[in-house]
Amino acid sequence: MNLHRIFVEPWQSHASHYWPVFAMAFFVTVACGLIGNYLVLRRISLVGDAISHSVLPGIAIAFILTGSRSGTPMFIGALVAGVAATLLIEVLHSRSRLKQDAAIGITFSTLFAIGVILISIHGAHTDLDLDCVLFGKMDFLPGREPVFLGVPGVTVTMAVVAICVGLLIIIFYKELLVSSFDPSLAASMGINPRLVHYLLMAILSVVVVAAFISVGAILVIAMLILPAATACMLSDRLWLMMILSVLHAFISSLGGVHLAVALQVPTAPASVVVGAVCFVVVWIVSPRQGLISLWLRSHRADRAPEVRSAGNV
Amino acid sequence: MILSFLMANNRAIVTGKIQLGFTLCIVLGMMSCSDPGGDSASDPRLFVVTTTTMITDLVKDIAGDEVRIKGLMGPGVDPHLYEPVPNDGIALREADLVFYNGLLLEGQMTGFLEGKGDKSFALGSSVAQGNLKGSNEHPDPHIWGDARLWAGCVPVVVNALAELDPGHAEIYRKRGGEVRMKLEKLHQWALQRGVEVPEQARVLITSHDAFEYFGQAYGFKVIGLQGISTVTEAGIAERVKLVDYIRQHSVKAIFVESSVSPAAIESIAADSGVKIGGELFSDAMGQPGDIERSGDEEYDLGTYSGMLKHNINTTVNALK
Repeated sequence: MNLHRIFVEPWQSHASHYWPVFAMAFFVTVACGLIGNYLVLRRISLVGDAISHSVLPGIAIAFILTGSRSGTPMFIGALVAGVAATLLIEVLHSRSRLKQDAAIGITFSTLFAIGVILISIHGAHTDLDLDCVLFGKMDFLPGREPVFLGVPGVTVTMAVVAICVGLLIIIFYKELLVSSFDPSLAASMGINPRLVHYLLMAILSVVVVAAFISVGAILVIAMLILPAATACMLSDRLWLMMILSVLHAFISSLGGVHLAVALQVPTAPASVVVGAVCFVVVWIVSPRQGLISLWLRSHRADRAPEVRSAGNV
Repeated sequence: MILSFLMANNRAIVTGKIQLGFTLCIVLGMMSCSDPGGDSASDPRLFVVTTTTMITDLVKDIAGDEVRIKGLMGPGVDPHLYEPVPNDGIALREADLVFYNGLLLEGQMTGFLEGKGDKSFALGSSVAQGNLKGSNEHPDPHIWGDARLWAGCVPVVVNALAELDPGHAEIYRKRGGEVRMKLEKLHQWALQRGVEVPEQARVLITSHDAFEYFGQAYGFKVIGLQGISTVTEAGIAERVKLVDYIRQHSVKAIFVESSVSPAAIESIAADSGVKIGGELFSDAMGQPGDIERSGDEEYDLGTYSGMLKHNINTTVNALK
């Protein structure tokens, strides 16, 4: 009876509510998950978190210039600040001895601080915080007018964004692959790795800010890391990791919807939890890198030395 | 050798997944017992959705059992921090009528609320422009602080209900009139209590600027430590100024709020040696059924009148 309420009813009597929520969660996690593979490879997985803080000065300046808290100026301000943040991170990293994590830390905390100062000066008596003017509430999404296959316009936009990300990755697969793994090889092949990186970061900013507006920050930040981290536990091949990321995106968004129904909690964090559970399961049972196989391997290695040599081949 | 490893691991994957799925099902099945019980399609009554606890209480008083009401924000939930759950989204979709505060109190939700078109009503829209505080573009949304302004919102609710449910229009109008009388009596009572405090001592210092309307209505000068939003933090300069002010004017007490962390006000109290006069309800009311006694009066902190009485009594008793 209860299982019926959790797993069946959402797709029957309330399908018009859960379908757009699921579709939105899926397209956001796919877009983030695909880009996330490159972020994890480049050790900048937390750049999504960095962007979520860096957008604050952007919306503050947009508010000061336009005097409005409505969607468009906030979106443009956030987008410009997001791109600026990713560019700053790369400049800081490439023109100094700092590693990426330090560059990310310096950039986003500084930008966030500037945002707080700007708001304190110009908007102290205005309700101008990220939760209020930028981050969306996923569970109210279906309240919007459906425009295509029962989903609202923002979901269609997100689907288009996800498809564009997928196409760009297919078209520039080689460039992205080489410059992610071996920048000097890329340079010798006539690819400008820095240009590739800037373009990747620009696309990332668009995806992240577009997603913030509809689903809030937590889902986006988590899904830039979780699908890729899960996928790289299962495969070393980038194309296979991409496919596994999409699979992870599907499982976590579908599971997230059902977990949210079961516990009556917001869907975005529920999807993150399901995504994390997938990661933990794969971490434990993955054939090559999983805890079980590592344990088995060391166990066997202790008993039979010849296995170790076989395993090393 | 390697092959057998792989096979063993594959088996491990399958068993692991089955077990996990099984556990998950049990956990979910157990948790779903606490079903909040949302919709019932068989209920022929109007389905009304409200946002803040104050609005839920007002609509309940007017509509009574003639409608089915769902308040989205629970007791003690700061509207800035409210996170909708799936049933809230469904309720908002299915609602025949939506009442919300407006004046951007609901933040990002405002777009969805407005999306209900002529089915949604912002109570803040009933307040004349001249009576609004804050700037013109960004008026202060905390209108419920003044019982008379709040009474001015009653017609919005009554007219909307009466139009959609003409069969009960008479009873909505009658109850609306009663609620207005009740609120007017409450207003007069609050005014009388307010003057018990000597004029120079009528200073209300709290965590954020939620009491402008309250202060104006009942004669208190209001100083908020943070801005209107509960998220902005107070600057060091504002803090120092506030501590100086408290010392110079020998303010007797300052106040914390139910939905804002008391830390900042507590540290100011420690710095300036002033006592904390109590906890005021700002953006949400108390738990329904939580009865407070003051003098020979008893009131429910989960109701609008109980909340206002609590705020007035706490302020007056601490400052007089």
